[in-house]
Amino acid sequence: MSRMLIPVAVLVALVALSVFGDRPLPRADLTYINSSEVNTLDPQRMSWMHDLRTARLLYEGLVKNDVLSDDFDIVPGVAESWDLSEDAKTYTFHIRSDAKWTNGADVTAQDFVFSWRRALLPDLVSDYVAMFLNIKGAQAFYDWRQEQLDGFSDREFASDDARRIAAYDLWEETKARFDSMVGLHAIDDRTLVVTLERPVPYFLELAAFAVFSPVYEPLVAQYERPDPVTGRLVRRPGWTKGGVLISNGAFELTGWRFKRDMRMTKSPHYWDRDSIAINTISIPSITDPNAGVLAYQTGSIDWIANVTSPYRGDMVAQKLAFFDEHKERVAEFEALGYDQFSITRMLPEDPRALTHAVSSFGTYFYNFNCKPRLPDGRENPFADPRVRRAFAMCIDKPAIAREIRRLGEPSASTLIPPGSIGGYTSPKGLPNIGDAANEEERAAIIARAKALLKEANFPHDFIVELAFNKDAGHDLIGQAIAKSWQKSLGVQTSLSQKEIKIFREDLKNKQYMTARAGWFGDYGDPTTFLDINHSKDGNNDRAYNNPVFDDLLFQASNELDPVKRMAILSEAERIIMEEDLPLVPIFHYATIYMFDAKKITGLSTHPRTKQNAFLIDVLGDGIGDDLPRPMNPDQIQVEATTP
Amino acid sequence: MMTMILRRLAALPVILLVIYTITLTLAWAVPGNPLENPEKRPKPEVIEQMKKQYNLDSFPRFYVSYLSSVTGFEYAKDWVSGDLARDQEAALEAGFPPAPRPIFDLGPSLEYDDWTVNEIVGSALPVSITLGAAAILIALVVGVGAGVIGAVKPNSASDLFTLTIAMIGISLPSFVIGTALLLVFAVLIPMFPVGGWGGPMKAVLPAVTLSLPFAAYIARLTRMGMIEALGADYIRTARAKGASENAVLYKHALKNAFLPVLSFLGPAAALAMTGSFVIEQVFTIPGMGQHFVNGVQNKDLFLIMGVVLIFATMLILFNLVVDVLYRWVDPRIA
Repeated sequence: MSRMLIPVAVLVALVALSVFGDRPLPRADLTYINSSEVNTLDPQRMSWMHDLRTARLLYEGLVKNDVLSDDFDIVPGVAESWDLSEDAKTYTFHIRSDAKWTNGADVTAQDFVFSWRRALLPDLVSDYVAMFLNIKGAQAFYDWRQEQLDGFSDREFASDDARRIAAYDLWEETKARFDSMVGLHAIDDRTLVVTLERPVPYFLELAAFAVFSPVYEPLVAQYERPDPVTGRLVRRPGWTKGGVLISNGAFELTGWRFKRDMRMTKSPHYWDRDSIAINTISIPSITDPNAGVLAYQTGSIDWIANVTSPYRGDMVAQKLAFFDEHKERVAEFEALGYDQFSITRMLPEDPRALTHAVSSFGTYFYNFNCKPRLPDGRENPFADPRVRRAFAMCIDKPAIAREIRRLGEPSASTLIPPGSIGGYTSPKGLPNIGDAANEEERAAIIARAKALLKEANFPHDFIVELAFNKDAGHDLIGQAIAKSWQKSLGVQTSLSQKEIKIFREDLKNKQYMTARAGWFGDYGDPTTFLDINHSKDGNNDRAYNNPVFDDLLFQASNELDPVKRMAILSEAERIIMEEDLPLVPIFHYATIYMFDAKKITGLSTHPRTKQNAFLIDVLGDGIGDDLPRPMNPDQIQVEATTP
Repeated sequence: MMTMILRRLAALPVILLVIYTITLTLAWAVPGNPLENPEKRPKPEVIEQMKKQYNLDSFPRFYVSYLSSVTGFEYAKDWVSGDLARDQEAALEAGFPPAPRPIFDLGPSLEYDDWTVNEIVGSALPVSITLGAAAILIALVVGVGAGVIGAVKPNSASDLFTLTIAMIGISLPSFVIGTALLLVFAVLIPMFPVGGWGGPMKAVLPAVTLSLPFAAYIARLTRMGMIEALGADYIRTARAKGASENAVLYKHALKNAFLPVLSFLGPAAALAMTGSFVIEQVFTIPGMGQHFVNGVQNKDLFLIMGVVLIFATMLILFNLVVDVLYRWVDPRIA
């Protein structure tokens, strides 16, 4: 038997070695939970909100949004100033002399040319390539490169060597073509000239988007080379790791352990380093919804950027009850111009005050398949806008927001969250049974919907299918909508729950009748929402095609007067929200944060839900000026006394 | 014994090839497109090219190319033919430093943009092995101890008690036990951290949770084996020659009763060490288990194949180790 103890002893020694050898790092000044594991730190490849949020810590674009202002003003970043030509098509950016990479090298105009070129290569599959296509000649360059690549793999070569050489030659030619075709030029190290295809009134908004951040050419170019088989520039992972990545933002990546954590320290070379009030950041990968809240409660986390635990509805309800208990003071602070985080900070301490519901720049909706025929070949009744309008009116939206979501989210009658974009007036939208003031009004709306169905000859025995992916309570919302339709329209329904990958594939191929969806805006312009309904847009899952709508978007893109342009876009939204209804908006999202407002300051309550976490100051930690950073500090009338 | 080991090792590639073929066929049949991004979609022609690049457009080509890159065959081939050197030269000529290439290449992850499957396995496997080994150790100590206690006085109060605990250990799902342990020992009595990995304190609760079903099973195996052994003739002989009760229990009875436990340990260790999705979720542990589940959900073909091949190899090797130990502990088994 004693023989058996030898392998056991070896095992014990190994476990001890492994466990004790893996010492935890000291707590960082700020520890926060991103909503999910970061997918990539390559800015040109990003599309997830949590990736973009991380990118804004590590990288800095030409300009940035002042997230603590109501208008989300554009403020200088790497560019200290910029000029716009008379015809509003040419931007000249002047890069500040003290903009540095984390290795101390200067950030140059050429760095932006290199990085934006990456985004414009079909090879790298940038999700946001469309934003870059606003640049003059960009579309032509993209198409040219795509054409070359299409032909490459079918070309015959004498030998593998010849094929390889051809791939490298094509890459050299591509670089030369880019410089001659695309309106993006570094005049000198500190002057970048961007020529646009047509005036883009929100171009600076785009430039503030993290995908437009620069990457460090000497590093990144080492990891990209042409593939001899397809001719594509193949991107190898490796340069985004801790200790390797060179970036130009407020923070420097010191470690990234897969599915464990990410750590950053303040960059000693960042030009605005004196304004940064935290020295180290740790972002542990806690993706389990409950584990995050538990970790917060034990004090190891300062901020959860997206609380997803199933009981968050109760947390929000308790916060509202807390505000209600102090409603006089809340009203008083609101009148003075304070944001909800500042108000929470000035109220007495309470565990319920740690939860914060912030309205978001996103909308939950149901898609209608607008194709004339259904996937099974039958005629599609939803191809008729009257049918879509009838179904849209008969969803009890407020009940879904109030009873299923329970996050204090507003029910939606438009695609764009009202009030989120300065200068834009949302259309009214269709009447909804949930908004009816009384039974008669409700009955009138139902009668109107039924009349529409009759007009459209909606088939009697038709079963309406609702598709959704199986996670995150979409099933409950699907059930509620189905019930609404059964009860008010007397139609039969069936629910179809799918795996997320299959669901997405079905959406793309229009293999559905009605399906849940959501959209978050990327930049502060109505087109960020409206474009997905353009007949040629890659995200038009509805196969919606209305030339009038497309034409309005076209008119808006050529309109130089901002007021007129917004009016055109508002009319475009009116068409899809009051007449055609390719989609029914259900509610506008809220994001739930968890943090102690008495300790953490510098977060924005703006509905664009964009946080620049480098603005955070941990109050009372002795780093930075330790003063509250409220929204719109100049608009606050009197500094209220903290109790 | 050497021939046994050699024979088993020789069978390893054949078994792996069968597993590879079956898994790939199944994974290939999973509906959904791994190159589809959630919201913003690449153009169809771009997807076509990516498929071509990864050989995702043809099952036979993928089958062969992945097999040759995983086994190191491709690396060897390129090395022998001089392609490897030429590749590097060409890269240098174009101004790129040569790309480092792993010999056994499990491929890129289609879901995690910035990581290769080699990196993912490299970071997750040590965590899972450590946690699994710790759990198996706990299970051995607790299980064998409880089994012996039960066997010495069958149907006594202490036996019933250990049996009940074992029953609970087998039947209660680990997300219940894990969450309960977390609530009690991390939130109510803050003895241990809530989750994460790194340092001994963070390993305790997950290792205990992971060990429970194994401990329970080992306890039952030990108890059965001990009761049987204690009734055997050689035990009577041992007692008759005046051996102390401890010597009878541990030297004679346990040695034989332990053999079924030992054969259970092979698959148990492989199972414990390849990670548990549930425990990783509850305790936020960066282990292997999640990649089995997420890989399939995301149809991340390279990741699925990578983790399955690793798991299969471990399972086969651990069974071999157990068989070797078997013969070592009990030389009568040839």
